Amino acid sequence: MTDSHTPFDHRPDTRLGAALREALTAPGDRAAFVARVLAAPARPAAQPVEYFLARWAARGIVAAAAAAFVAGLVIGRARPSSEPTVSDADPGAMIADVQAEPNMLFASNPGH
Amino acid sequence: MDLASAERAIVKMATEPQRPNGDARSPQEVGDASLVARARSGDREAFGTLVDRYADQARRVARAVLQDPDDADDAAQDAFLAALVKLDQYDTARPFGPWLMRIVANAATDRRRRRKVRSAVSLDEGLVAGGARPDALAERAVLLGRLRSALAELPERRRVAVVLFDVEGYSHAEIAQVLGIPEGTVRSEVFHARRKLRALLADWRDEE
Repeated sequence: MTDSHTPFDHRPDTRLGAALREALTAPGDRAAFVARVLAAPARPAAQPVEYFLARWAARGIVAAAAAAFVAGLVIGRARPSSEPTVSDADPGAMIADVQAEPNMLFASNPGH
Repeated sequence: MDLASAERAIVKMATEPQRPNGDARSPQEVGDASLVARARSGDREAFGTLVDRYADQARRVARAVLQDPDDADDAAQDAFLAALVKLDQYDTARPFGPWLMRIVANAATDRRRRRKVRSAVSLDEGLVAGGARPDALAERAVLLGRLRSALAELPERRRVAVVLFDVEGYSHAEIAQVLGIPEGTVRSEVFHARRKLRALLADWRDEE
């Protein structure tokens, strides 16, 4: 830093820059770092636990959905066809053929 | 980052034929754009040269964000691998350094957000608190510790701005590109950072 420098100066401050450079330069060897970067993809990288949990969770959800779908298909096909089903026919039409006897109708009403 | 993509890129480099020795220029003499072009085509040596060329710079910028040197190295490594994957997106008409430093700064910021808050007690703090200064080496260590502590107190963007400007020699316009902020804001960040750090250096000078 020189006295001619102001904070507004558009030129790099060599003294401050040199001190910061020394303070921030890592103690490790650069060649070792370069080798580490180039070798990184070749070995399995250490991943955080959350990474594996996320992957497992995603796979688990897909597997559960697939299993539920298959189970639904199997159960649906295995149901016997003779089993009574809900009809959407007109209830009035269903009892149209049934003739109620007048005695039965009036038996519940003693006054008549 | 996408580890699988990085792995594919490295495997591609390892399996494809390397550049013939007919190129008379040494890797150091070849410009960044040319190195990127060669790395894109699978030249492992070219990518290694780029890493070697920018390793110190990337590690310093990452350390300006993260403080911890080991974390900084991890972030710098992440950044280089991310850059390898994204090389196709790099515009060779523009300087490579700011493009890479943007990736480095982002990688460091991502890592800082992910990591848990650690105990902040460090050797530097002990040094800042004062103590015996038996020799010049120890005095220098105290100064550097104070400088790191002062830097750590600055907002992250201000730290990166002053390091890129005064240490790495980038222009305000390039730093604006790295940080994604207006050039005037970069000037302001550098101004405020310098004011604080210079005061520290001046105090140190007075003590000497």
